[in-house]
Amino acid sequence: MNCRSEVLEVSVEGRQVDEAMLALLHTILLHRSTGKFHYKKEGTYSIGTVGTQDIDCDFIDFTFVRVSSDELDRVIRKAVAEFKDALNITGSDGMGQISLEFYQKKKSRWPFSDECIPWEVWTIKVNVVNLANEQERQICREKVGEKLGEKVINVVEVINRHEYLPKMPTQSEVDNVFDTSLKDVQPYLYKITYQITDSLGTSVSTTMRRLIKDTLAL
Amino acid sequence: MAQFNTEYQRLEASYNDSPPGEELHVPEGMKSQWHHIENLDLFFQRVYNLHQKNGFTCMLLGEIFELVQLVFVVTFTVFLANCVDYDILFANKFVNHTVSSKVTLPDAFLPVDACSARIHGNVLVIFILVISGVFWLHRMVKFIYNICCYWEIRSFYTNALKMSMVDLPYFTWQEVQAQIVEIQKEHQICIHKKELTELDIYHRILRFKNYMVAMVNKSLLPVRFNLPFLGDMVFYTRGLKYNFELIFFWGPGSLFENEWSLKSEYKRGGNRLDLAERLSSRILMIGIANLLLCPVILVWQILYAFFSYTEVIKREPGSLGARCWSLYGRCYLRHFNELDHELVSRLSKGYKAASKYMNCFMSPLLTVVAKNVAFFAGSILAVLIALTIYDEDVLSVEHVLSSITLLGVCITVCRSFIPEKHMVFCTEQLLKVILAHIHYMPDHWQGNAHRYETRDEFAQLFQYKAVFILEELLSPIITPLILIFCLRRKSLEIIDFFRNFTVEVVGVGDTCSFAQMDVRQHGHPAWMSAGKTEASIYQQAEDGKTELSLMHFAITNPLWQPPRESTHFISQLKDKVHREAIGGLQEAPVDSHTYTSIHSLQSEEPHSLIANLLQGPPALSSQYVDNDQLLANHKSVAVVDGGSTMCSPISTSRHLHSSYPASHGLRYDHLTGTVGRGLVGSGSGSRAWEGQLTSMALSEYASTEMSIQALYIHELHQQHSRGDLSRHTWHRQDSDDSSEGVNDAEASHSLPHSSTFPCIATPHQQGASNNHCYAATTEPLTSIVRGQRSAHFPMGDWVEEVQGSDDELPPQIHKVT
Repeated sequence: MNCRSEVLEVSVEGRQVDEAMLALLHTILLHRSTGKFHYKKEGTYSIGTVGTQDIDCDFIDFTFVRVSSDELDRVIRKAVAEFKDALNITGSDGMGQISLEFYQKKKSRWPFSDECIPWEVWTIKVNVVNLANEQERQICREKVGEKLGEKVINVVEVINRHEYLPKMPTQSEVDNVFDTSLKDVQPYLYKITYQITDSLGTSVSTTMRRLIKDTLAL
Repeated sequence: MAQFNTEYQRLEASYNDSPPGEELHVPEGMKSQWHHIENLDLFFQRVYNLHQKNGFTCMLLGEIFELVQLVFVVTFTVFLANCVDYDILFANKFVNHTVSSKVTLPDAFLPVDACSARIHGNVLVIFILVISGVFWLHRMVKFIYNICCYWEIRSFYTNALKMSMVDLPYFTWQEVQAQIVEIQKEHQICIHKKELTELDIYHRILRFKNYMVAMVNKSLLPVRFNLPFLGDMVFYTRGLKYNFELIFFWGPGSLFENEWSLKSEYKRGGNRLDLAERLSSRILMIGIANLLLCPVILVWQILYAFFSYTEVIKREPGSLGARCWSLYGRCYLRHFNELDHELVSRLSKGYKAASKYMNCFMSPLLTVVAKNVAFFAGSILAVLIALTIYDEDVLSVEHVLSSITLLGVCITVCRSFIPEKHMVFCTEQLLKVILAHIHYMPDHWQGNAHRYETRDEFAQLFQYKAVFILEELLSPIITPLILIFCLRRKSLEIIDFFRNFTVEVVGVGDTCSFAQMDVRQHGHPAWMSAGKTEASIYQQAEDGKTELSLMHFAITNPLWQPPRESTHFISQLKDKVHREAIGGLQEAPVDSHTYTSIHSLQSEEPHSLIANLLQGPPALSSQYVDNDQLLANHKSVAVVDGGSTMCSPISTSRHLHSSYPASHGLRYDHLTGTVGRGLVGSGSGSRAWEGQLTSMALSEYASTEMSIQALYIHELHQQHSRGDLSRHTWHRQDSDDSSEGVNDAEASHSLPHSSTFPCIATPHQQGASNNHCYAATTEPLTSIVRGQRSAHFPMGDWVEEVQGSDDELPPQIHKVT
């Protein structure tokens, strides 16, 4: 696969899941978003500004920074909520992973649809633990906060490396690189998917798709 | 988390109107569409394929013709079976013609309605038609898909690599590869790394092939069988190979998740038993599917074989007696990280020697029978032909034409069993020459070249074409049996193999760890890597595969930077070979100043390409030239002439060899004084044709150098494994070397001369080649034997003693007819 992949692992208590996920996803997206591009006539563009916002967590001793865009927040929250629901259905001590995939669209010739080619995938593996009493919860609250702090530093370290990023597009290509649907911020095109450990095996549809592709590529 | 309590301020930014005086950026845009390609494995494979198929147009035409051929095969078969009235054709039935009495071809055709009625009535024909229709449609869809994909690759070649399709056949793969490495810096095809290496590209193209080579190397695949009556057999056909690949690499539920990564559960040892269970049930399923499809595949194989081979057999009946490298042989002889064209060219170079070697073993019984059959058949044929010449009406007598044809075929077949006259066999030497090209052979062959066991084992690698076709025909029946009864038992081992020998390489994905060619991890102590290797017996690659592959890869890709241990290994080996070669040269009484100068030049930059070039092959080239000269001088001496053609399987290729290196040898002489390292530059710079020539010559050198290294490694290995020798083997070894001693004498005498005065042959040389048959016969081999000769020096000083004894005929001259 021609794409970087980074894995973060956390173990949290059931009620901390969504905050922990939000913290990590928002941290990554903060670094993978720019202000809106305003293209000028001469082929140049200017970048709008991006606001940031501190968010305090309720169940974790932790504060994180996110892009102050409610729309983006809503999208992320929705994905995280779905993930949490899926976790709850399988039982409280579930394991799962949520992945944030940055991709690029590539226009193809007629017989093929546009390709979405990922260039960076962040996988966050979650291990949900059950705690017996309030004291343990208290300890967990601090521990998870510390852990998340480490993860954030991890993320920043990875992002600080000078590695491949899609080139800044011209006006006509901007939709192939950035998600321009939001009003106030412009992240790289991303996709959030999740998996619960029980269903970690490849699904039927992907198998079928691979089968067809493989027979074609014989 | 105190350190995170910094004060973040929300920026009350206005998103719609940008503040004045703000920075303006210039978008870079997508200058090329080649940045960041999703599936690099497929991409590189296609780039390679397109190069091997000589460009887009050739490929397109080839594929179209293949499709057309398919339609033709099917319709023609159906037509022959259903629409021809054979009674008319054989004149058993008369046609009522009013105009003329001649029977024409169209008379024999049935009318359309009768024909279609016959087809409709025949279930089998309908069945075959449906099957082939489905098959054809599948091919058609694949064809269209491929065309679309390769069109992309074509534009990659023209736009990114700046190579037009017309010129593509004239670029070597190494050049294409260098160009890809170059443009990675600009386009970032692979996003993990700033720079691609040659090894990365090889790994991606050959990912699965490396696994297969490793599995054959570790004898994991069930391809060898010990059958009750037939003895040790190897059965490995295309169908079987296809099934193996289907099971391991790309089929539904295979071990690989996609082209580049093994499924994560297979990387963990925890539930290996469980996984083995699953694998074995999957193999069972695929085996049963094979069994069910068996009739279809069988019919297809028969049809295909019939149409592709009957014409060839009719044209040259000897071709069935010809041999080819078997599929197993290709797998066994392949290095890790060796592309198809490299393997094919290497094996083709060894073909002549190999078929000569096999011809040494003609059964005397068969020869006697064949001679007599040929005699009787020949006399009948002669009479028939004589009669025909006298009056051609003889031809119209029933069966005369067919018997002439049959007798002709019969004689040709018989002749292939009769050894040529004036033939001298020296199996041991032939095997050496073969080894120089194929680079691998089991230990016990050496010294046993004249035995039937060796021959039989070699026949597994180098089989009759007829056997090959037969095996392909039987494959649909045998493959499911092998899958169900043999492969399933191995499923646990397979799971373990994939877990233990898969490494994840950044920027490449999961590859076979053997393909890393790491001497430390997979070296075999008996193959030069003693002391360096940390591998357990399970981890060692057999037959010195790691070491030889490493050498091969380093030689074919001189620009590749191996990891430190490997560099050490390579330079050490080269050093050894070089030192001993030089040592051998300096023993020669004649002036060796050219070589000392070369030597000094080499010591200046021991790792450069020029050093490699000057160290081995030019010496060879001069030898080649010299041999040519010698031969020319002695055309009159029948022994030399006959002997050399008999016993120098490389004789034809030698001319080719000599032409390149000779011209280059001269050029080097000019170059060395002034430019030195400019030689490398001349490959890229200077005029186009010169660059072309250089790169061609480079590949020639590379293959020769590899041959020498391979022989050297094998020889060292032999000495290593001999360890404590019995008196008996010493004795034989001694006399073995007497022959090489002769070569030594010649080689070392002729060498220094030839590099400067290629035309002069010293009286001594003439004497040597005149001396007796053996010296002459082995003489063309000297170039190859040289590498292995040098290996004797560390063993002791007995080479010198032996040198004088060129009068004894060494024992390995097995048979003289």
